[in-house]
Amino acid sequence: MAEQSNNSDKSRPSPKALLELAAKEKRGKLKVFLGMAPGVGKTYAMLAQGQALRAKGLDIVVGVVETHGRSDTADLLDGLEVLPRRTVSYRNRTLMEFDVDAAIARRPDLLLVDEFAHSNAPGLVHPKRYQDVDGILQAGIDVWTTLNIQHLESLTDVVERIAGITVRETVPDKVLERADEIVVVDLTPEELIQRLKDGKVYLPENARRAIDKFFQPNNLTALRELALRRTADRVDEQMLSQLRQQGIEGPWPTAERLLVCVGADMQSEAVVRAAARMASALKSDWIAIHLSPSDRENTDRNAAKRTEKAMRLADRLGATTVRLSAKDMSVEILGYAKRNNITQIVIGRSNPGWVDRLRRRSLSDALLSAAQDISVTVVAPDQPAPKVPLPKFPETGAAVSGGLAAVIAVGLGVAAGKALEQLTRLPNLSMVFLFAVLLCALRFGLFSAVAAAALSFVAFNFFFIEPRYTLTVAAPHELFALLLYLVVAIITGGLAGRLREQASATRERAEASQALYEFSRKLAGAPTIDDVIWLLAAQSATVAKGKSIVLLNKSGELSIEGGWPPEDTLSTADWAAARWVNEKREPAGRLTGTMPFALFQFRPLLSTKGSLGVVGVSPDESDDALPLAIESALQSFVDQAAIAIERTLLVEQAAQAENAAQSERLLSALLSSVSHDLRTPLSAILGSVSSLRQLGDRMPPQDRSDLLETIEEEASRLAAFVSNLLDMTRLEAGVLDLRRDLVDVGDALRGAVARAKKIYPQRQISVSLEDGLPTVHGDAAMLEQVVFNLLDNAHKYSPPISKTTVTAGRVNGGNLRISISDDGIGIPAHALSKVFDKFYRVTDGDGRAAGTGLGLSICEGLVRAMGGTISAFSPAASGKGTDITMLFPVGDRQRALQARSKDKI
Amino acid sequence: MTAHRVLVVDDEPQIVRFLKPSLTAAGYEVVVAANGKDALKAAATQSPDVIVLDLGLPDMDGKDVIRALRAWSAVPIVVLSARDRESEKVAALDLGADDYINKPFGIGELTARLRTALRHAAQNAGEATRVQLGKLDVDILAHSVLLDGKPVKLTPKEFELLAVLVRNADRVVTHRQILTAVWGPAHTEDLQYLRVFIGQLRQKLRPAGDAPELILTEPGIGYRFLSGIA
Repeated sequence: MAEQSNNSDKSRPSPKALLELAAKEKRGKLKVFLGMAPGVGKTYAMLAQGQALRAKGLDIVVGVVETHGRSDTADLLDGLEVLPRRTVSYRNRTLMEFDVDAAIARRPDLLLVDEFAHSNAPGLVHPKRYQDVDGILQAGIDVWTTLNIQHLESLTDVVERIAGITVRETVPDKVLERADEIVVVDLTPEELIQRLKDGKVYLPENARRAIDKFFQPNNLTALRELALRRTADRVDEQMLSQLRQQGIEGPWPTAERLLVCVGADMQSEAVVRAAARMASALKSDWIAIHLSPSDRENTDRNAAKRTEKAMRLADRLGATTVRLSAKDMSVEILGYAKRNNITQIVIGRSNPGWVDRLRRRSLSDALLSAAQDISVTVVAPDQPAPKVPLPKFPETGAAVSGGLAAVIAVGLGVAAGKALEQLTRLPNLSMVFLFAVLLCALRFGLFSAVAAAALSFVAFNFFFIEPRYTLTVAAPHELFALLLYLVVAIITGGLAGRLREQASATRERAEASQALYEFSRKLAGAPTIDDVIWLLAAQSATVAKGKSIVLLNKSGELSIEGGWPPEDTLSTADWAAARWVNEKREPAGRLTGTMPFALFQFRPLLSTKGSLGVVGVSPDESDDALPLAIESALQSFVDQAAIAIERTLLVEQAAQAENAAQSERLLSALLSSVSHDLRTPLSAILGSVSSLRQLGDRMPPQDRSDLLETIEEEASRLAAFVSNLLDMTRLEAGVLDLRRDLVDVGDALRGAVARAKKIYPQRQISVSLEDGLPTVHGDAAMLEQVVFNLLDNAHKYSPPISKTTVTAGRVNGGNLRISISDDGIGIPAHALSKVFDKFYRVTDGDGRAAGTGLGLSICEGLVRAMGGTISAFSPAASGKGTDITMLFPVGDRQRALQARSKDKI
Repeated sequence: MTAHRVLVVDDEPQIVRFLKPSLTAAGYEVVVAANGKDALKAAATQSPDVIVLDLGLPDMDGKDVIRALRAWSAVPIVVLSARDRESEKVAALDLGADDYINKPFGIGELTARLRTALRHAAQNAGEATRVQLGKLDVDILAHSVLLDGKPVKLTPKEFELLAVLVRNADRVVTHRQILTAVWGPAHTEDLQYLRVFIGQLRQKLRPAGDAPELILTEPGIGYRFLSGIA
C-alpha cells in the first residue's frame, strides 16, 4: 500500500526544493574556485576559464584580480575589461579597493572577483568582500571568485591546530554553501612546494617565515584533504538536491538535526566549531542553545561575555540560536530536543572542580543518562582549556577597598574584644570577629569577607588565645575551635558575599525594568512626536552610556530630529549607515557586521507601514559588541518608541482628516445655501413666466400683473445676489479696486441714508453726526456701500415700524467711529462672532428673512481694506436690537496703508 | 366636476406668490401653508386632493411631514426639490411621496404631475392593470403582453418588473421600491439586477421604428413607465 502511494507521488518534485531553486534563479550565480593554499593557481584557472567564455562572446568584466606580478597570470588579463579600482584613504595611506557600485552599474554577464575572503579598507559599505559579492549577486550578476580553504570560518581552529597560523580573514560556511558551483583547483603538495621553490608563488616578505612553516607537506596534505572533502560533500548535496527537484524517489537520508549546548566555559567556542563541522558533514540544520539557570543569578560578567561570543559565533556559522532559562538544565534540553526533532545533542566535556563534582552531576553526565533515543556527543576540548581565572576576583580598586575594610573591621573587632574582656568574661569572643566578617561580606563582597576571615583568624589567635601575643596555641581544643571558626567564617562570609552579589544583580535587573517601565509610562503620556523623540534620544543615550541620535523619514528623506547630547550633523559614514538601515530595516553601523566604521550603531524604527526612521547609539567606551541586556533594552525602547511615533503620526493624520471633513461640511453648507439663494428667485421667475404663457388668458388681469411684478422683483433680487457674490470674490482675490482718497464721512453717510430711504420709504432713520467730522482715507463709494448694506440689514431684521440710528463721531485717540443700530430682533450671543463670516445667517436654511449671508462679510472686507475694524453688539445700547460699530484711523495715512497692504497679502 | 383642491406647502413667499394664481387659473382650488405644522393642520381640516410639498421648511423637515401624513392619509404628494438633492428625493419617495419635481420648474410640468397623481389616487390606490400604448398591450391581470398583436415572451421576473412599472404608470418608482417588490427586501441594494432586467425589458418591448422609450430612467432615483396618457 505504502509503496503504491510512493509510486504515485514519484514524479512530484518537492515544493521546498522548487522554492529554493526559484529563489536561486533570480540571483546571479556564484562559482568558487577553491584551493588548499595560496599558489595552487586559482586565479589562473579562473582567468583561463573566463577567457574561454569571452571567446564565445560572453560579456565578462574583471572586478578585481591580484596578479602578484606573475606574468602568466597577467597575460591572461589580456583582452578582458578590468574595472578601475576605487581609492580609499585610510590613516594617510591610499588603498585600492574593489568598486562594488561601479560593478553593479556596469552590469556585465559575469564578474571575476579575486580573493573572496579579503577584508575591505575601513570606510567602505561592507567590511568583507564576500558581502560585496552578495550585493552583486543580488543585482542578478554572475560572479566567479577564488578562495583558500583555510579562510572558511568553521575550519579556522582546525587550520590553526594543523598549520599553526591564525586566520583572520574568514568567510562564513553559509556563504560557500550558497555557491552554485565549486571548482577545486588542485595540486599535489609536492608540486606546490616545488613551485614555491621555483619562486612561482608570490609571498609577501614579512610573512615569508610564517608561511615557510605553513608550506610543509603534512600541513598541505591536511588542508588538501579539507578542501577535497568539502567539495565532495558539496557534490553529494547537489546530487541530492537535483534528485529532489526532479522528484526522483528516495530514500533520502532522514534529516539530522543537531543541538549544541553552549555554556559559559572557556571551551564553548571550540564546542560550537566542532558542532558546526559535524552539522556540515551531516548536511543538517543545527541549533545552538544556551540555558541560564532560572533559580540562580548569573553574576559573572566574563562568563556572560564568553557565552555571548560563542552564541554569536554559532550564528555566524549558520546555526539557529536559542536562549532559554531553566531550573533543571538536562530536563529542559531534552524537552527542547524532543519538541524540535533533534537527533543529536553536542555538548562540551565539563571538567568541574572537586567541589562541583560533590555538589552535583555534570550536565553531560545527566544528559547521557537521561537521553533515550537521542544520541549525545560529548566533545573533548581540542587543547586543555586554559585555567579559568579565579572567579569573581574583584578589580584592583575594589580589592584594595575590600581589603582595607577587612583590616579595619578586624582591628575594630580586636578593640571591641579587648573592651568586652574588661567588662565581662565572654565565652565566645570569636562571635565578635564573625560579626566583622559578615559586615565585610555584606558591604564589600566575597573577597573582603575571605580576607576578613583570614585576618581575624590570625588576630583572634594572636590577641585572645593563650599564650597571648604569639601565634602558637597552647590547648589542642582551642586549636580545634580556631580552625572551626575559620571554616565557619569563610562559609558564612561566602554566603553573605554571594547574597550581596545576587542582590546587586537583582537591583540591576530591577533598574533595567524600572527604566523600561518609566520609559513606556512617559511615552504613553507624550502628546507630540517631539516629546517621543526627545524621550527616545535621552533614554537610548543613558542605556548605551554614550551618545544617541534620532532620524526620521520626512517626505522620503531621513532628517535628524533629535539626539542626546543634541546634535544636528552626522559624518558621511553615519549617514550612509543610517540610510542603509532605513532601507534594509536591519541594524547596522558600529559594532555590527555592516558598515562598522560608522560612529553610531543604528536600529530601524519599524512600524506596520515600514521604517519610520532610525535610532543611533554610540557608546562612549566599549569596542566589544553591546552586552545582551543593553541590546535588548535598546530594542524594547526602539520598538516602543516606534509605536508611540506611529501613534502621534496617526493622531496628526486624524486631526488633519477631521479638519478636511470640517471644511468639506462647511463647503457643502455654503453650496446648498448659495444654490438655494439662486434657485428660489429662478423658480419664481420660471414659474411665473410659464404660467403667464400657458394660463395667462385664463387669469384675471390683476393676477397677471402680479406675476409680472414677481418676475421683476425676483430678477432684481437675483442681480443683487450675483453682484454681491462678485464683490465677495473680488475682495477675496484682492482685486477689488479701492480708491485711496480723502473721504468726507458726512457725505458718504447721508448718501447711504438717502438710498435706504428710497427702498424703505416708511422707515424712520435718525442721523446724528458730530460737528467737524474728520476725513478718512479710502473709497467714498465703498464706504457708502458699507453703510447702505448695514442699513439694509437693520431694516430686514427689525419690525417695519421701528427706529434705525446712524451716529458718527470721534472716540478717544482721535479715531472715527460710525455706528448703525436698530430696534430689531438682535443677534443671539453665540452668533455674534460669526455674523461677519461668509454665508453665515443667523436663521439657517429656509429661514424667513431671506438674506444671502454675504452682506456683512462684504462690509467687513471693505472696512478692513480701508484700514478700519467692524464689530457687532447685541443687544444695542437701547436694550434690544443690534449695534454695528466701525472704527477708522484718522490722519494716519501710513497706518492705513500698512493695514491695507497687509490685507492684500 | 368640482375643482381639485391643492395644498401648497412652501415657505418662500415668491414661490407661493406665483403658484397661487397659476394653479387657480389651471382649474385648481389652492390652499397655502407656509410651514410643516400648518401643512399638517391644513391636510387634516381642508381635505386636499393633492399636496405640493417643498422639502425645505423652516420648522420641520419635509420628510417628517410626509411621514406624519402617511400615518393616516393616502393623499397624493408631489415633492418640490432641487435637482442636486437626489438622496433627499429618493428618501421622500420611499417614505410614500408619489412624485417629485425639480426646482426651478415650469407650470406645465407641475400640472402634468398633479394630474397623474390625481388619476392614480382615483384608480383605487394607483392600481393600473391594463395599459395600451400604440402597438403595445399589457394586461397584468391576464398575464399577457402583446406587441403588435403578437405575444411577447417574458421571464417571470421580467413580468413582475413590468407589472410594478405599469401599476405605477407615469409615476416615478424608486430603485428600492422596485427591488423590494420584485426581488424582496434583502435585495434593496442590488441595483445591478435592476439595470440588467430593465435593459432586457426595453429590448423586448421596443416598439418598431424610432418610437419613444417606454421606460424612462430618472437618474439616481428610479424609473418611470410612460403610458402616454398624462
